[in-house]
Amino acid sequence: MSASLLYFDRFGKPEDELAIIERAKRNPEYFAPLYRKYHEAIFRYVIKRVDEEESAYDITSCVFIKALTNLPKYEYRGIPFSSWLFRIAKSELYQSFRDKKARRTVSIDSMQIGKVMEEFQIDESEHKREVLLKVLPLLKESQLQLIEMRFFEKRSFREMGEILALTENNAKVKTFRALIKLKELYSKNNNIKN
Amino acid sequence: MIKLLIDRQLPSSESIAARRNFNEILQSLPKKKTINSPWFYGAIGVSSILFLILLNFFV
Repeated sequence: MSASLLYFDRFGKPEDELAIIERAKRNPEYFAPLYRKYHEAIFRYVIKRVDEEESAYDITSCVFIKALTNLPKYEYRGIPFSSWLFRIAKSELYQSFRDKKARRTVSIDSMQIGKVMEEFQIDESEHKREVLLKVLPLLKESQLQLIEMRFFEKRSFREMGEILALTENNAKVKTFRALIKLKELYSKNNNIKN
Repeated sequence: MIKLLIDRQLPSSESIAARRNFNEILQSLPKKKTINSPWFYGAIGVSSILFLILLNFFV
């Protein structure tokens, strides 16, 4: 990589990011700082949704190849560049699920299940936790995605909206509806178990 | 069927960084077709047209 590219390693403001993007449109080598900046975030987004680590690395590489290929079409319209990358990651993930190259996975921490149960105002017991985990995959993909982003990844509604191409308010409303649906499924299954 | 993984051990930032390879990304980019590049239409295109004109003129 040429020495002049090192200059663009230090950035922080979105304007700097946009300047790098404009340069990278002419020469993809200038994209290196953005690759370094976002590689881990994109990888973590991907690996939480696939079961195999190697598949996650492959999909992450595909995301950046696609981003660089489509970079000349990228235009800044108020949405952060990172969200544009996450949108590509989302589409690459679903493509790999369709091609059966990866399996749809939801990675959850025990603590985060507790947060969902708090939202439902139910006390945390092993049995109730089991029921919740059983009904979670019964949600529609679009609803699961919202629950996943909000509760398991702790993303803001604004960020969720930017990634899912929704307004902040729409992301909030849809998450609320997904939560109601999850609660319905939970109640139904909890009653069956009791 | 969706798979649920609870308290999964995810790779560390160091191991993720170790797998970063920007050169591999650059090499995987689809190569631009020479025929589509402005260089082709500029240099070769213009000289070909000039050659044809000159050929027409002298022959």
